Amino acid sequence: MSFIPGQPVTAVVQRIEILKLRDGDNLILGFSIGGGIDQDPSQNPFSEDKADKGIYVTRVSEGGPAEVAGLRVGDKIMQVNGWDMTMVTHDQARKRLTKKKEDVVRLLISRKSLEEVVRQSMMQR
Amino acid sequence: MPAEVKQEQSPSNQTSLAMMQEPQEVVEETVTIEEDPGTPTSHVSVVTSEDGTTRRTETKVTKMVKTVTTRTVRQVPLGPDGLPVPEGSSPLGSYTDSIDRRYMKNGERFITPQATSTLTRSYNNYSDSYNDTPDTQFRHYTLHDGYGDMPDNYGSLSRGVNYRPYRPYMPTGGYRPENSYTLPIRKDDYGHVAQPQVPMGSSTVDLNRSQPERFQPEPYGLEDDRRSLGPEDEEPYDLEPDYSTANRRTLPGRTIREPLRNGPRVRGYEDPIEAELIDERHPYIHGMYPAPLAQPERGSMASLDRMGGRRSPSIDSIRKDPRWRDPDLPEVIAMLGHPIDPVKSNAAAYLQHLCYENDKIKKDVRQLKGIPVLVSLLDHPKAEVHRKACGALRNISYGKDHDNKVAIKSCDGIPALIRLLRKTNDMEVRELITGTLWNLSSYEPLKMVIINHGLQTMTNEVIIPHSGWEHEPNEDSKPRDAEWTTVFKNTSGCLRNVSSDGAEARRRLRECEGLVDALLHALQSAVGKKDMDNKSVENCVCIMRNLSYHVHKEVPGAEKFQDPSALQAPGSAGTQRKKKDDAGCFGGKKAKGRKNGEHDKNYDTLDLPKRTEPTKGFELLYQPEVVRLYLSLLTESQNYNTLEAAAGALQNLSAGQWTWSNYIRATVRKEKGLPILVELLRSDSDKVVRAVAIALRNLSIDRRNKDLIGSYAMRDLVSNLPSGQQRPAKNLEEDTVVAILNTIHEIITDSSENARSLITAQAIDKLVAINRTSQSARETKAASHVLQTVWSYKELRNALTKDGWNKTHFQPIAAGTPKGSKSCKPGYDDTTLPLMEKSQGHRGCSGGDMIPMDELGPDGYSTIDQRDKDSKYKSSDISSDLQEREPLKNDTNRKHYIRSNRPTVSLVDACDVKPQPVDSWV
Repeated sequence: MSFIPGQPVTAVVQRIEILKLRDGDNLILGFSIGGGIDQDPSQNPFSEDKADKGIYVTRVSEGGPAEVAGLRVGDKIMQVNGWDMTMVTHDQARKRLTKKKEDVVRLLISRKSLEEVVRQSMMQR
Repeated sequence: MPAEVKQEQSPSNQTSLAMMQEPQEVVEETVTIEEDPGTPTSHVSVVTSEDGTTRRTETKVTKMVKTVTTRTVRQVPLGPDGLPVPEGSSPLGSYTDSIDRRYMKNGERFITPQATSTLTRSYNNYSDSYNDTPDTQFRHYTLHDGYGDMPDNYGSLSRGVNYRPYRPYMPTGGYRPENSYTLPIRKDDYGHVAQPQVPMGSSTVDLNRSQPERFQPEPYGLEDDRRSLGPEDEEPYDLEPDYSTANRRTLPGRTIREPLRNGPRVRGYEDPIEAELIDERHPYIHGMYPAPLAQPERGSMASLDRMGGRRSPSIDSIRKDPRWRDPDLPEVIAMLGHPIDPVKSNAAAYLQHLCYENDKIKKDVRQLKGIPVLVSLLDHPKAEVHRKACGALRNISYGKDHDNKVAIKSCDGIPALIRLLRKTNDMEVRELITGTLWNLSSYEPLKMVIINHGLQTMTNEVIIPHSGWEHEPNEDSKPRDAEWTTVFKNTSGCLRNVSSDGAEARRRLRECEGLVDALLHALQSAVGKKDMDNKSVENCVCIMRNLSYHVHKEVPGAEKFQDPSALQAPGSAGTQRKKKDDAGCFGGKKAKGRKNGEHDKNYDTLDLPKRTEPTKGFELLYQPEVVRLYLSLLTESQNYNTLEAAAGALQNLSAGQWTWSNYIRATVRKEKGLPILVELLRSDSDKVVRAVAIALRNLSIDRRNKDLIGSYAMRDLVSNLPSGQQRPAKNLEEDTVVAILNTIHEIITDSSENARSLITAQAIDKLVAINRTSQSARETKAASHVLQTVWSYKELRNALTKDGWNKTHFQPIAAGTPKGSKSCKPGYDDTTLPLMEKSQGHRGCSGGDMIPMDELGPDGYSTIDQRDKDSKYKSSDISSDLQEREPLKNDTNRKHYIRSNRPTVSLVDACDVKPQPVDSWV
């Protein structure tokens, strides 16, 4: 799924709401991200388009809030609480996800399998 | 809004009470002045009101003054309680009461403020009046004025408060009829007592933040600087004007002889006895409730009663006692020359009280020649006397009536204040002095006078010691952090104002020994402690921004760095240069390239001028090291004024064509500052967006920056443009829209790649809409220039045509300019060009404090006037202006660039080491 900066993107997305786990002063989402416009996109193992500098989920901790919410490794994060994540630096994405004030994070993610499901259902019709 | 404001400082009041010996007579009432303090007033702010323009704030601080007019009746001994009221005690009691109340009620606002003991009193009072009294006359006043709007109704409150004070004791004994005006003689004692709640010492620090507004300072700051506190500050200003008048208005009807104050006096006199009694009780109660004062019916009083719940029976009778009356203004002024010192100090304190937010009284004091007398008291050896005189001057100096400021200056008040600053170690006095200077500094013609008399003294006495900077750092001790005291805040506000007074003022400040070093140290300390939202930081950043303006033209020795050919400053230079560089970069002809060009890939090797000795003084302003400081502020601060100033500083530093601006532009990229700036384009604050947009424009003088900005900032830039009829959610100012359009124009000039990004960002729709329908000629013109430039790229026309555009969309609507060939590009007339922006933009930009650029010309960033225009912006100061940019040269060279070869760049400089894939747990 590639896109041109500045142009609208059409994607199949899923909403995922993660309730952060509170551990002392820390809020834990239970996944890790990679990517960002300041990173080398060619090293991203999850992207189809190797020029895609989006934010991807690289790891999900077992039993963590993210896994419980349905997030999977390889998901591309499109938005976090309404904020665009397709053109941000790695650190900006991290900050958006780790706001201390927010106990809940609402993600819009896109994932290859979702697109396939949609495609199939359309073909069946 | 908020806050605050209370400033009360009435310390003086308290003191005043005391002393006289008037025997038994009655007491003094002290009046403190009031008011305001309590009230929300905050003086702060408010100024706005009127035109919106000015925000000057005066410091309303003064108000605090509680007037303590005490009626002293010392004798009175018995309190309602039956307790004898000791002379001393009674006073205390009263204070306390008042104080506590205020706090309680006002809650937030008051709380901190009170650093001064005096304050406390007022606070208490306020609160009471506040809440309860609505009925009171005072309130009415306020309402009329429009204060009503203010959340707090400061005006009303304040006054109410003031009145309270009276509670003071009435002397049981007979009052003296005439003497009454002799001010009371109480001792200062109470002052302290009263304060209990408020911590004095600590307060200072906190104060700034919490209540920045309280003092005038802010106001000032606001005016000039634009940046004064955030929103908070500003609003307050508005209030002021009105209410002051309003309050005072009450008076108007009365003839001079009549008691000046309505409420208070009345009470004072009348109530005397009861009031006192009540007070006495309070002492014990202190903080707890509003003291129940006995109050007469007077409006305010009434309210009080309610609060208190009790009314003493005697009150009425007291009120009516004909024997008391307040001194009239000429009498008070005459008392300033009384041979007995306590009379002088009480008279001064009373004046402070009377002047609080009352423009009419201020004017009367001036016309009655009271100001020279007050100024002469500044040199009085007794602390009590010069402190009170200083308090009165602070109130008098606050406000839009510049004649009052001029009157202080004409009797050599400025050197007298500076002398006292050197002499005294009393923090309260220093706060008053610096607050007064801040007020005075808001008036343009006085700025240079302040610089001439006080710059080095303020730097040595306040800025350096409070900044934590040391000339010769002691190796043993670790560096000290800055202390955000009120004195520092006031002084930095004053310097912020004077730093906007043109090239000469900037020169003086830059060359003031230790000033730049100390300011930088203070800011670094703020960044280190993550304490970047307070007013002092804002003031410091604004000063830095102002001093950074035109450094490349004004700094001694700047010419050494100017010669482009000699220096390697290719990037910055006009297009011609760029050409060459580009050739080097893209064409691979490095050999010919200049060694150090920014553009050069080898930025890292860029040679900074050799330093034989550590950098110090004004040279620190433009060292690449400051970039990190400003970027930290831009990343962490929540204060819009600070953000705007930090962006403005980068804008100023990246303007111009000297070697240092090349380094700065490259350093911003290297420090990963571009993403930070781009993110701020999404700010809710108009002026921040504007400052950032202009900074990006200046930064894009550097070719690599231009590529990066074109790739990654275009979408955010475009999203700030109004689309069609409706403006974006942000509803940006015309100046901001024009700034953004100019930045876009700069970015796409000489770069068809960037022009392509513009098209893909769906900007053409918006640009055409602005070009055709905008009500603003400036927006239309700027959009038209962008469109012409886009059309001038023949290779893009195909794509444009496909999207349904044709040549007519890219032609100026009204103007007959030919289509966009390169030649068509608008010359750089000011309007379009950045420079223009300065001027035009300034107004807008500066919002709060800025001064109108137009009038000033390039230098005048900070003018005050702007505010008026910009009332919207709360910010206070600033001069937006700083940015300047030089017009680009034509780009005949454009062709030379090889578009296709454009390296792909990421926002972050490509030169940086390729990051390993980063993976962050969240």
